[in-house]
Order: sequence, then structure tokens, then C-alpha cells
Amino acid sequence: MSHLRQFEYVEARSVDEALCALASFEDARLVGGGTVVVPTMKLRLIQPDALVSLRGVEDLSAVEPDGERIRIGAMVTHHRLARSDLVRSRVPMLAAACGRVASPTIRRMGTLGGNVCYGESASDPAPVLLALGAEMTVRGPTGERTISAHDFYVGYYETALERGEILTSVAVPSMSANAKWRYWKWSPRAHEDKPLVGLAVCLEMQEGSCRTARLAVGGVEQTPVLLEAAASALEGKDLTPEVVREAVDAAMSAIDPMEDFQASAAYRREMVGVWVRRVLTGLAWEAA
Amino acid sequence: MNRSVSLIVNGRLEELEIPTHWTLVQLLREGLHLRGTEEGCGEGSCGSCTVLVDGELTRACLFLAVRADGHEVTTVEGLAHDGELSPVQRAFVERGAVQCGFCTPGMVVTVTALLHETDDPTDEEIREFLSGNFCRCGGYPLILAAVKQAARVRRGTAR
Repeated sequence: MSHLRQFEYVEARSVDEALCALASFEDARLVGGGTVVVPTMKLRLIQPDALVSLRGVEDLSAVEPDGERIRIGAMVTHHRLARSDLVRSRVPMLAAACGRVASPTIRRMGTLGGNVCYGESASDPAPVLLALGAEMTVRGPTGERTISAHDFYVGYYETALERGEILTSVAVPSMSANAKWRYWKWSPRAHEDKPLVGLAVCLEMQEGSCRTARLAVGGVEQTPVLLEAAASALEGKDLTPEVVREAVDAAMSAIDPMEDFQASAAYRREMVGVWVRRVLTGLAWEAA
Repeated sequence: MNRSVSLIVNGRLEELEIPTHWTLVQLLREGLHLRGTEEGCGEGSCGSCTVLVDGELTRACLFLAVRADGHEVTTVEGLAHDGELSPVQRAFVERGAVQCGFCTPGMVVTVTALLHETDDPTDEEIREFLSGNFCRCGGYPLILAAVKQAARVRRGTAR
């Protein structure tokens, strides 16, 4: 691995300062924990003339309740989210997914904001944010706007973030206290690897029947995606083996898996089927 | 582009001028000639460059050196006191948990952080905690044994 090439380093003290810095270079990039930007620069995939650090911006490191939601500052690390009592009690599926990101050291460095802005499909938190209907808050030179997680992931390593904009926080709706949920990571090569299939499932059950279902998967398509057809197959039904089978079929036929050095499209589709079936079967047992 | 930084490394104040594009592993190895911290993959996967920054586990190959300005860094060289190896280091030696030795500094620093958080980790917790530290010799069983011995010694329950 080669070393970094020269760049200007700016330590911003506020979001405004960071916005100014971004605007004053030709190709400045933000750096949070550095777990993505640094290796990407070493690989010469990007060659920014400046790195603008957000580490000194205090308002980006809060985790706090915001009505029925939890608001998470962009600079909060995966490790903090995995351990936070607030996150574990109100959005436990996010805590679980953050606790499965890479390895313990990387979790202590990498931030949720960085993870999200990387726009990677094979991200552990991404399908959870989609399934729970999270909302990103973004600030740019002309002001603030919000983008739903669904609209945020627009393509292969591509997000709705415009050049010169900064993600400041992610707001995640609280899960219902009796929700049945699972984040399941299938990474066949190694424990600390990225998910080949990262499946987030959250079901609200009422007397054995599924009232609402939210399913999303990362690592399969070019962006993390909601499995809406599978959710429709479950809603209003008892989770019998037949209903689970219908949801599995719906998930497998609705997705358009990518093909790369890790796995073929057919294998990814098959694994989505396997893990949707196993996770739903497990949750049905829990709910019974 | 250079910048002067001052930081505490293994309890000693260091002031030096470094290129802004250096990573912390370059600062340690090239700037301070502390060669215990190894650079393996250079992209944060292998764990051999693991150090503590303000007590927190950090991959020195991903950490920009300028960010260490005003902070406290502990490397494998800072674990022994007055020539006496730390319990983790001693356990690695006694258990023979070292083969080629390249991953050892990162392992020892990571285990030190683990035992600081959990004084009696289960095998599962140890494996999970070391999941980002690769031993290409495949010496994991002895490393696991060393961690358990170090934990016992630290708890004061070793014979």
C-alpha cells in the first residue's frame, strides 16, 4: 500500500467553517474517522487537494432524543452507537448493526456519517436506516435540507449529497417496544468483512399476526434496498411457513442483485432467500 | 506542506515537524524511530499498526499524524514499566504466542485495551475483539491462551 500524497489539512471548528473550507478548494473532501477516505486516497481512487476534518466540530457528536426519533450526529462512531443505552433501548436494531461493522478498532474510529456518505451498499447500518425510515439532515451553502434514507442512496457508491454539502445528522424513528427484529449479517469470507447480505427485518406483531413489516437488505443490489414486496406478503398475516415462503419468493423475485468478484448474482439472490426465510422463521418462533 | 506538532508518546513529550500527509505510523516509525508499531496492509484491515490514542484503540495507518497534535499516544514500547514487561507481554512470551512476530505489537496493544474494558473475557469475546488483528502464521490458539493467562494474572488469580 502506497503512502498518502500531499494535501492541505483543515481542522474545522464549526459546520460553517467546514462549508467555507469545502468551497475554497477545488476538490476538498471531508474526513471523519478516516477509515474510508485514507485508504481510498492511498489507492489513488481520489486525490483531493484538501481534507477538511470534522473532528473538532462539537455539534456533530451528540446522540439525543428528538421527539419520537433519535438524532445522531454525523461524527458519532459505530462503537458509541453500539454501546449507547439510548440507542440500545430505542433503536436496538441500529445498535446491533453498528456493533457488527468491521472490527472493534475500526468501529472506534469510523463514524455513522462517514459510513452513510460513502454510499456503500455493503454497509451494516444502511439497511437498518432504510428499514426504520431514517432521515438525513444535510447542510450546504444555501441552507439545510432533509433527505429520506430511501432517497439518499442513489447509485453505486453514490448518494444524494451534492458537492459542497455536509451531512450533519441522521434521525432514526424509535422502534416499538414489542417489535420483533433482527439484523443478520452474512459475510462468508471472514467475521470482520463487509456483508455479502446484510438483512434488516423489523416486524410489529399483534396476537400472532404481523401488523407491519419492514425489510431491507445491503450488499445485494448496487445500493441498499427495501424489500417492499416481501413486507406486503407478511402484513396482516399469521407467520405460517406458507406465508414465510411467499415473502421469500417475493424478496427473491423483486431484487436485482449485482455480480462481482465476491459472488454471482444468482448466489446473492439465493442467499437473500435463505436468510429471509431463516430470519422470519426465527422471529415467528419468538412471536409465538 | 509541513506542520509542527506536539504530543505525548509513551509518557514523553515529543515536538516535531511533520508533513501534513503523514499517517501516525509514519510519525512513529520515521519521525520518532519507534519501530515497534508495524505497518502491514496500510488500509486498516490487518491490525498490526494498532496503538492507543488517548487510551482509545486506533489504526495508526489510517490516523492522520496531524490529528495526534495535543494528544497522548501509547505504542507497544510504552507498555513495559522500568524494564518490567506488562502482564499481557509476559503472557505472550510465556505462552509462546509469537511466531514471526509481525502481528504481535498490534495484538499486544489490542489485548491491553480489551483487558482494560473487560477483566474476564470469554473465548468468544476475545475472538471477536481480535477479529481485526490478523496472524498470518495462524498462531491464534496460543494467542488465545496468552490472553486468558494475562487476564488471570491481572485479576490476581494466577498461581
